[in-house]
Amino acid sequence: MTDYPVLTVATFLPLAGAALLLLLSGERLARWITLLTTLATLAVVAPLYWRFDQSSGALQFVESADWIPGWGISYGMGVDGIGLPFVLLAALLSVLCVAASWTAVRTRVREFHVALLVAETAMIGLFAASNLFLFFVFWEMMVVPVFLLIGVWGGPGRVYASVKFLLFTLAGSVLMLVGVIALHHFCGTLEFKALAGATIASRHQYWLFAAFLAAFAVKVPMFPVHTWLPDAHTEAPTAGSVILAAILLKMGAYGFLRVSLPILPDAVQLFRLPMLVVSAVAIVYGAYVTLVQTDVKRLIAYSSVSHMGFVTLGIFTLERSGLEGAILQMINHGILSAALFLCVGMIYERTHTREIADYGGVARTAPVYSTLLALFCLAAAGFPGLNSFIGEFLIIGGAFESRSWLGAIAIWGVVLGTIYLLWLYYRVAMGRMNPGLAGLALELDAREVATLTPLALLAVGLGLYPDCVLSYLHAPVAALLSTGGAP
Amino acid sequence: MSRPTAADLALLVPELILVGMALALILAARRIRRGPLALVGTILAALAAAVASASATSSGGATGFGGMITVDGYARFFKVLIAASLALAALLSVRCLDREQVPRAEYHALLLLASTGMMLAVSSLDLLTLYLGVELMTLCSIVLVGITVERPTSNEAAIKYFLIASFASALLLFGISLTYGATGTTNLAAIASVLRDVGSDPLLLVAMGLLAAGLAFKIAAVPFHAWAPDAYEGATAPVAAFLAAGSKAAGLAALGRVCLVAFGPEARTLTMILAGLAALSIIVGSIVALAQTNMKRLLAYSSIAHAGYALLGLIAGTPEGGSATMTYACFYVFMTLGAFGVVIALGERGESLDGFQGLAAQRPGTAALMLLFLLSLTGIPPTAGFVAKFSVILSAVRADQVPLAVLAVACSVVSAFVYMRIAVLMYMKEPQEPAPPRFPVTMSAALVVTALVTLVGGISPGSLARWTVPP
Repeated sequence: MTDYPVLTVATFLPLAGAALLLLLSGERLARWITLLTTLATLAVVAPLYWRFDQSSGALQFVESADWIPGWGISYGMGVDGIGLPFVLLAALLSVLCVAASWTAVRTRVREFHVALLVAETAMIGLFAASNLFLFFVFWEMMVVPVFLLIGVWGGPGRVYASVKFLLFTLAGSVLMLVGVIALHHFCGTLEFKALAGATIASRHQYWLFAAFLAAFAVKVPMFPVHTWLPDAHTEAPTAGSVILAAILLKMGAYGFLRVSLPILPDAVQLFRLPMLVVSAVAIVYGAYVTLVQTDVKRLIAYSSVSHMGFVTLGIFTLERSGLEGAILQMINHGILSAALFLCVGMIYERTHTREIADYGGVARTAPVYSTLLALFCLAAAGFPGLNSFIGEFLIIGGAFESRSWLGAIAIWGVVLGTIYLLWLYYRVAMGRMNPGLAGLALELDAREVATLTPLALLAVGLGLYPDCVLSYLHAPVAALLSTGGAP
Repeated sequence: MSRPTAADLALLVPELILVGMALALILAARRIRRGPLALVGTILAALAAAVASASATSSGGATGFGGMITVDGYARFFKVLIAASLALAALLSVRCLDREQVPRAEYHALLLLASTGMMLAVSSLDLLTLYLGVELMTLCSIVLVGITVERPTSNEAAIKYFLIASFASALLLFGISLTYGATGTTNLAAIASVLRDVGSDPLLLVAMGLLAAGLAFKIAAVPFHAWAPDAYEGATAPVAAFLAAGSKAAGLAALGRVCLVAFGPEARTLTMILAGLAALSIIVGSIVALAQTNMKRLLAYSSIAHAGYALLGLIAGTPEGGSATMTYACFYVFMTLGAFGVVIALGERGESLDGFQGLAAQRPGTAALMLLFLLSLTGIPPTAGFVAKFSVILSAVRADQVPLAVLAVACSVVSAFVYMRIAVLMYMKEPQEPAPPRFPVTMSAALVVTALVTLVGGISPGSLARWTVPP
């Protein structure tokens, strides 16, 4: 393999595609260029999966260049076993987003794809950044395209939802900015590697943790700052929901793994119990709120609160199995929430309703769709043999090791998850055919099946052979636990 | 003091170019009522002044006129910045001048003279020349605000501005005289050395307060900001843009030099005064902007908030802080001129917030440019505004002013709402008015330049570091 700056290329290829789109006009052309750009990006990052050295916990494919010498800030890229799966996931989902929007988006097509491509650059760049400054730049860069995706191409309540999303995320991230600057002040560098080795006085760590928590908690989102999520996810167009649920939510959890755990170990010890409690609350509260939703998209959105509660729970157990489970679960949730939102979006295109009560008996006319939906619902509910099972199992294992009552609460969350997902499936696909759906062609076409197939394969594949991700996680998680996060 | 020599005059080449062009325009005023001659002359003069400033005898910081004038890196940086804002303001004025029937030669001559005052102020090493420069700038600005004699709002704005500016000048002059009384000199470096020898003196503290207040008027920092919204609203939009960009940069430069050079030894008191001004400006500017429905008023309050952010750099009293403020001033000038540029380009429609409804559907390019400027004003990467904000907050944190830094970023969320409201109108609402007419090429040129600086400054912030030499 030639040694070219692969991460930089992968990050900025979508941006170049966006720039190309700005120069050209034509809706079909815009769709094709975007599809080709995202496919090319996927082709650039896919080989990394095999080229990656799993035995090393260090950053790989490292690139570095001077950027702002006056502040001692450089441009640096690199992924470890934690970042790599997310880079791959972001590249894959971008392709699927373009495919899913092929017929769903009909207004301002060119601008839509520009926003999508800019978001892809921010997503990949964020997970590939090797210093905190670049991480922050991509973090903030993500906000704008998503804000526009929700606000311009969203549902009826889109303006409210987009502004709420913007204000919540900005409120969190400006505090992170102070944290970044303070870290720079204390340590004189913003390289993740150097920061992890730096010693920072405990009292400073507490404040820094709180500043970063503000940003990460909003993005995850953790209880009680999750209220932007149901609005944003519900009103966003399908591609926007996919990006939000699958990638944007992971940015917060990734921040904990990249910043809080390695750099602020003392503060992590202090905040550990509150974080665990809040996570447990999110799991159970999120699940109960999900149960009563009557809107399909809102239901899936609230289920994210519960599922991301598992992730933060796993992270702050500070046990190996909990952490690995949490990261695996982040990937799983990325796959499944994307798949569920895509499923909802596909049927919404035909029925133009999101009310669960308007559905019923879909399986009678759309067997392929219902089969895939069943697969994804079961997977999200943690059915053995499918991907979420392993992640939840590891997290709960970690929770029991850490504090047994946490494990009990987490199991209760799994039970509730099974209930709301299967009940959703029952109300949508089974039973008597809803008269309102009569005469509609509900079955998926080839493009839609092709969109869902990679996700279905991943759901089954990761369920049967989770080691294809877990083996990447052992080394970096061990490094994470040894740098100071260990109890 | 001896008579000025050729070497002294050589220091003032940029100013002389501007004055020369201003005089030429006034002399030829009757002949160039129509046609682009005045504009071309102004642009050429601005470019020549910028080149002359940039290429002035490198480093060293030669002084002249008995140590009253210098061309150190600080002065050269701001002179280039002032020349740039002069050229951009002139480019943006084209259509307004026709619509409002403004006499061209006089208008451009006033722009040139105001810029001369600014340049003089930023290169002053003495409180008296500084005062002269600032006053020349202010007097010209007042006339510029009132230049559309037909419009009552313009007259009203000019009178308000005049009254408040006179009051501010009185404060400034009073501060200078008290300083002279306490130290026996008006030379900035000499004041510093007296301060170092004698230590603080209550009289001098009052003088510092008065000087800071007088200059705070010029940059429209709270509580000395009341003139700005009225003046911006009443003036034609290009004049408002010039005030927001050029005169704010010059005021910041003057304040920066006074604080860092003359009152450097009194850092503690200075920090208190500046921190108070900065905090109030940021809070009031961000929050009051929420309630505005007129774009020029909104941008006025935004400029007030930005004055506060720029002051954050000076609080530390360190050279790094000075550089941070210089960075902020530079990027602020371009992004605010860009935002004003879009407002101007949209004509009547751009004056009110509602005029931006549905702009993205009618003029995607213009809307995208406005979005860029708004993002930069908010401070979102990768725009220059983010770099500017990062640098001043970094220097605030280094000065141990963490609460102030948190306050500043918290208020930037408020201002994000202000700016993003415009983005919402542009992108998420249906158009209510017919599409705006095409812009003249001069305006597009100005917008492209400001957009490029806003973007390149954000992507490659290190490029400016070589030039931001504190005094």
